[in-house]
Amino acid sequence: MKTGRQIRTKRTEEGIALLISIFILLLISVVAIALIVSSGTETALAGNYRASTGVYYAGLSGLEETRARLLSKNPDAFNTTDPSTFLPPPGTALNMGDTYYLINPIGGQAITPWDSASTYPDSQFGAEFGLSSGFFSPTNPSPTALSVWNRNPLQPLGIPGPLYKWVRINAVSEKSLGIDVDADGLPDSTTPLYFDGAHFSNSSSAGPQVLEVTSFATLPNGSQKIVQYLVAPTPLNLTFNAALTMDGNNVLFTVPNTTNFWVRGNDQFSVGSCNPGPGVVDAVGYTNSSDSSQSNILSAIQTGPPSNKNRQGNYTNGVAPNPDVSYETLSPNLQTVAGLNTLVQTITQNADVVINGNATQSSMPSGMSPTSPMTIVVNGDLTFNGWHNTGYGLLLVTGTFTFDPDATWNGIVLVIGKGVLYSHQSGSGQFNGAVFLASTLDSSGNPLPPASAPGSPNFDFTSSSGSNGIYYSSCWIQASMPGMSYKVLSFHEIAQ
Amino acid sequence: MNLATSDERQLGFTLIELLVALGIFLVITGAAFTLLSTSQHGYQTESLVLTSFQEARLGLDQMVRDINDAGFPPPAFAGTDPTKFAITPFAWSTGAGYSGTPCQIGTAGGGTCTTASVTNSPGDLDLIIETNPNIQDPLSKVQWIRYQLVGTTLMRGVADKAGGGTDPDAVTTAAGVLVPFVQNVVNNACPPQIPNCQTAYPGIFPGGAPVPIFSYACDNSSPPPATVPCLGPGADNSPTNIRDVMITLVVAAPLADATTGVPRLVQLNGRGRRINPNQ
Repeated sequence: MKTGRQIRTKRTEEGIALLISIFILLLISVVAIALIVSSGTETALAGNYRASTGVYYAGLSGLEETRARLLSKNPDAFNTTDPSTFLPPPGTALNMGDTYYLINPIGGQAITPWDSASTYPDSQFGAEFGLSSGFFSPTNPSPTALSVWNRNPLQPLGIPGPLYKWVRINAVSEKSLGIDVDADGLPDSTTPLYFDGAHFSNSSSAGPQVLEVTSFATLPNGSQKIVQYLVAPTPLNLTFNAALTMDGNNVLFTVPNTTNFWVRGNDQFSVGSCNPGPGVVDAVGYTNSSDSSQSNILSAIQTGPPSNKNRQGNYTNGVAPNPDVSYETLSPNLQTVAGLNTLVQTITQNADVVINGNATQSSMPSGMSPTSPMTIVVNGDLTFNGWHNTGYGLLLVTGTFTFDPDATWNGIVLVIGKGVLYSHQSGSGQFNGAVFLASTLDSSGNPLPPASAPGSPNFDFTSSSGSNGIYYSSCWIQASMPGMSYKVLSFHEIAQ
Repeated sequence: MNLATSDERQLGFTLIELLVALGIFLVITGAAFTLLSTSQHGYQTESLVLTSFQEARLGLDQMVRDINDAGFPPPAFAGTDPTKFAITPFAWSTGAGYSGTPCQIGTAGGGTCTTASVTNSPGDLDLIIETNPNIQDPLSKVQWIRYQLVGTTLMRGVADKAGGGTDPDAVTTAAGVLVPFVQNVVNNACPPQIPNCQTAYPGIFPGGAPVPIFSYACDNSSPPPATVPCLGPGADNSPTNIRDVMITLVVAAPLADATTGVPRLVQLNGRGRRINPNQ
């Protein structure tokens, strides 16, 4: 009887426990599933956005790599890494319909975008050129170059590079872009487009060719994106109408009275295969004809008597009356502080060496040579003192440039910022090329308003013996003109 | 036989056993249902938050794309027909000098770029993008794409750009152009509408001030080259110089948290960077 009671009791308790357990388990399951669903959805939403952003930047990285490698001075430039197999030689235009691919395979995958049956086909090319220009598919096979991630020194490091697959480089025309460049009312021309610095043109003489760069990127999760640049090289078209140009109002001008100090506008000096032409520029140029600039310059040049003290003949171009001090009309971008600042920015972005802070001759790079002129920017004062050497290239100084004429500079000297060029020492050095001064600061050193004209530049050569002066040289100017980057003319994402 | 009868009587429960079992069952069941109800409320709230979150994510993605493409195609493409190229990446009202005079981007309700509208564009809560998202269609024109916060609804409007100095503000606010894009955007509505949201989310509403949807960084014309916040008057502070647009969307779930009564907010941040060159 005792045994039977124990058995019955146990059976009853087991039933209740089971029910309660099942119920609680059910409850917990519902809560757990709700939480999982909730966090799963949140993760998925955030993931989609992350994938969209990630593939966008992967595409952009392809565009930027291509844009950088189009530039000849880049160590990984296409004409250095793939000199005869990829793009035509510099200066040769791309033909319409020709396609060149930068490919970025990962793990040995084959990337042949011209093949419509391949993993990553270029269907965009046909969409862009097929109906409008009659090129229904890319050149088969197209020349290819490997991305920097597949070349030394990055490849052996095994760094996972960006996930773009290919970047296409090709020419564009009115028809392919659907735009009317020559204003004849029709987007009909199939000749390649060129860029004149402001607008597109059908004429090859207008400027460098416009290149279309199209990048395709895809992520392992299948997200894809195509982004596109139009780019063109933008040479720094600095023209000098005088051996020494003083840009601004009420210029300050001091020169020595020695016989050996010259400012000459005759074109001189051969550089490599470049020979000086018959053309001349003015010796000294100023840009405001209604202030004291002209009188300040003329009054600084000794006239005599006696006649042997007359130095007017030292400021000459051999054609104009002496002294050759003339009013210059500069290009619009050099007439305002904003334009000059932009020029400084542009040169800084493309400089070989940028020195922030004050510098001396010891900061000058050792790699400068007649065959390898360099672009050097000093964001501060530059002082040469006892430097018996020669500099080659474009020198931009934003502070005061104190020049010891023991040195010579072959190329372009821009003093934009404080606009002060001092020389209080003696020597036989000289400037061969052109010198340009502009002040973008007021007398207190504060920036002038961007839209205003530059302030007073100061050319102050007060040494008793002076230097040999400034000699215009178109060949040195040309040799030291820096190669500018490929400018992005437009960008857009192609909807897929 | 006697034993068997006695066993059958003992098979049932006593009243006390039954009451105790029932009591325990009710307590457990009550607790379980309370928990279930709480979970269900939580789930409903989370679902609403997620819906808002999803809407805002999609909206943010679209805005970033539009801003990335702003200013396409630039005037270099074809400078004759103003409906075929973007004169500026971000448009502003004719009255404030759309044809070229710089204006000051609106921050904290200020600005001089739009005179005809209630809000300032470009401003904290308003932006007109000029771009052609469909260049390969030969009939396509450049479009004005406007984002404007109206109450708690972020509106989006797309209209073909019109030439001849037409005011983009008037075109994009014409009847039927702006349509609801993201609902329950509380960047500007939280402090007056929901007084306790600043208390609940001090990090989202520092100082209880409205949160700008759009904040801007401009190209700086002075060296060294930089992109700086477009603060204060000056030539750099102009829609033509906008390079980056930082987007902050604060969206609320349609209903407050069922348990606590606190509004459920989600803050999303994004950044669009115009790549097209200055016009």
